[in-house]
Amino acid sequence: MRKKHILAKSFRFFFLSLYLLAAVVPLFWIFITSVKPSTEVYTYPLIYWPKHFTLENYKFLFLFANFSQYFKNSLFVSIISSLVAMSFATLSGYIMARYKFKFKKTLIVFLFFAQMIPAYLIMIPQYKMFSDFGLINNLWGLIIVYVNIAVSFSTIMARGFFSRIPRSLEEAALMDGCSRVGAIFRITIPLSLPGLAAIFSFSFVNTWNELFTAALFLSSNSKLTVPVALYSFISKAGIQWNVMSAGLIVALLPTILVFAVAQRYIVAGLTQGAVKE
Amino acid sequence: MTAPFIRMMKLSNSSRQVGLKLKRFIFWMLLPTFVIVLILTYYPTVEGSILAFKDYSVFNFQNIHFVGLDNFKTIFEGPEFAIATWNTIWWIAFSVTLQLILGFALALLMRKPFKGRGLYAGIVFYPWALSGFAIGILWSWLLNGQFGLINDILIKMHILDHGINFLANPKYAFISVITVNVWYGIPFFAIMILAALQSIPTSLYESAEIDGAGSIMKFFHITVPYIKPTLVSTVLLRIIWVMNFPDIIYGMTRGGPAGTTNILATYMINIVYFESDYSKASAVGLVIISALTLYTLFYLKLTSSYEMGEL
Repeated sequence: MRKKHILAKSFRFFFLSLYLLAAVVPLFWIFITSVKPSTEVYTYPLIYWPKHFTLENYKFLFLFANFSQYFKNSLFVSIISSLVAMSFATLSGYIMARYKFKFKKTLIVFLFFAQMIPAYLIMIPQYKMFSDFGLINNLWGLIIVYVNIAVSFSTIMARGFFSRIPRSLEEAALMDGCSRVGAIFRITIPLSLPGLAAIFSFSFVNTWNELFTAALFLSSNSKLTVPVALYSFISKAGIQWNVMSAGLIVALLPTILVFAVAQRYIVAGLTQGAVKE
Repeated sequence: MTAPFIRMMKLSNSSRQVGLKLKRFIFWMLLPTFVIVLILTYYPTVEGSILAFKDYSVFNFQNIHFVGLDNFKTIFEGPEFAIATWNTIWWIAFSVTLQLILGFALALLMRKPFKGRGLYAGIVFYPWALSGFAIGILWSWLLNGQFGLINDILIKMHILDHGINFLANPKYAFISVITVNVWYGIPFFAIMILAALQSIPTSLYESAEIDGAGSIMKFFHITVPYIKPTLVSTVLLRIIWVMNFPDIIYGMTRGGPAGTTNILATYMINIVYFESDYSKASAVGLVIISALTLYTLFYLKLTSSYEMGEL
C-alpha cells in the first residue's frame, strides 16, 4: 500500500513537472534571446545562457524602432475602451440581473450571438463605415471598435456577478434608510469590485492583443499599436530575432502582469458560470 | 436623476405611472450597450453579407454595385478555398480533442492540494491570457530550422540527426500550428475542468469507497458523470472559438507555405490584406458566418435540451 502511494506520488510529480516545463521553456527562451547580442543568437551550437548579457535589443526597440509610441498607443486604446465597456456593462448587467422585463431573454440571446461573432469577420463593413466618418487611422475610431468587442461579454459577466449578490443585502440597506441608488453604491458595487476587476482585466487583455482590425485601420507609423508593430516586423524580410524577442516580451508583459494580479477573479468569473450551467 | 422616482416606486409599486418610469429607467440603462452592439456588430454582419454580392475593393470605392454570385464563383474555382475548409475541420478536430485530453489530465493532476499549488497554477495557466499572435511568432522562433530550440533538443535526444525547417515544409507546417494551438488551449480546459472537479462533493466518493469502488470505477461512475455538463458546454463553445482563432497561424505561417496552413479565417484575412478585394473576402466571411450561425443554433438547442435532461 505504501509503495503504491510513493509510486503514485512520483508519477504525479513527474507529469506536473512536464507541464511546468512545457509552459515555462518557450517564454524563457524568448527572454534569453532578447538579452543576447545577435552574434550569440545566430550561432551553432546554440548558446543556452548568454555569455554577454545585454539590453541593447530593448534600447534599439525604444530608441530607434518607435516602440515607446506603440506601447503608449496600445495602453491608451486598451485602457479607455475597457473602462468604457466596463461602465456600459455595469449599467446593463445590473438591470439584467435585478429586473424582470419584456424581451429580456431575447436581449440575452442577442448578446450571446454578438459575442460569437469574431472581430475579423466584421472588420470590412466597419472599415467602410468608419472611413465615411473619417475615423480610419484614428485611435478613437479603434477605441469605438474595441468597446464593441468587449461590451457584450462584459455585460454577460457583469450580470453573473450582480446576480450572485443577494438582493436581500440591498433591501436591508433600504430598511436602514438608504436610498436605492445609495444601496447600489454602498452595497452592490463594493461587493462586485472583484467582478468589475475581472471584467476590466478580461477586456484589457482582449483589446491589448487585438491585431486584425488594428492592422486594417491604422496606417501611419505614429498610430500603430504593439501587435501591428510586431506584424510589420515579421512582414519585413530578415527578422532580427534578438530584437523581435525583445518586442515579444514587451508585448506580453502587460498581459502577464494583469493576469498575475487578476487571475483569481477572471477564473472565478469564467468558471462560476460554467459550473452553474 | 434616478433617485427620487425610484424612492417613489418603493412607496407605490403598483402605480401605473411608476411602472412607466421603471420601464424608462431600464431602457436608458440598457441603451448604451445595445446601441453599440447593434451598430457595430449586427449592422456590419448584415452589411458584410450584402458586400459579398457586390464589388467593393481597394480599386473600387465609388461605384459599388451588385455582381451576383461572382465572388463566390471566384472563391470556389481556386483550390485555396477547399484546402482552407478541410484544414478548418482538421484544425478544430485535432486542437479541441487534444486540448480536452491534456487539459483534463492536468486538472486531474492538480486536483489534490500540494505545496505551492497556487503558484504552480499561476505559472502553468499563463499562456491562456497571452496574445495568440505573439505566441505564434514566439513559436516560429522556437521551431526555426537552423537556430531553433526545438530542433536542438530533438537532435540532442537523437530523435533527429539534422534540423527540420518545420514551418517552411508543407509536411510539418500544419502539424506544427496545431501543436502550438494545443499548447495554447490546455490551460483553458484545465481551468474549467479543475473548477468543476472541485465542486464534486467528497461524500460521493466516500460512499462509493464504502461500496468498495476502485479508482477507475470512481472516475467513470462519479467524476465523469458529475462534470459532464461542464465538459459538454466547454467543448461546444471551444469549437466556435478555435474555428475563429487565426492568431496563432498568423504569427507562425500566415497560412503558408502555399496556403497549406490556411484555415478559412486566415484565408479571408489574407484576401483583405494582400488582395484588398473586400467583397471576395466578404464572400468567404459569409460562408464562415453561415457555418457559425448553424452551429450556434445547434449549440443552443443541444444545451437547452441538455438542461431539460434529454441528454
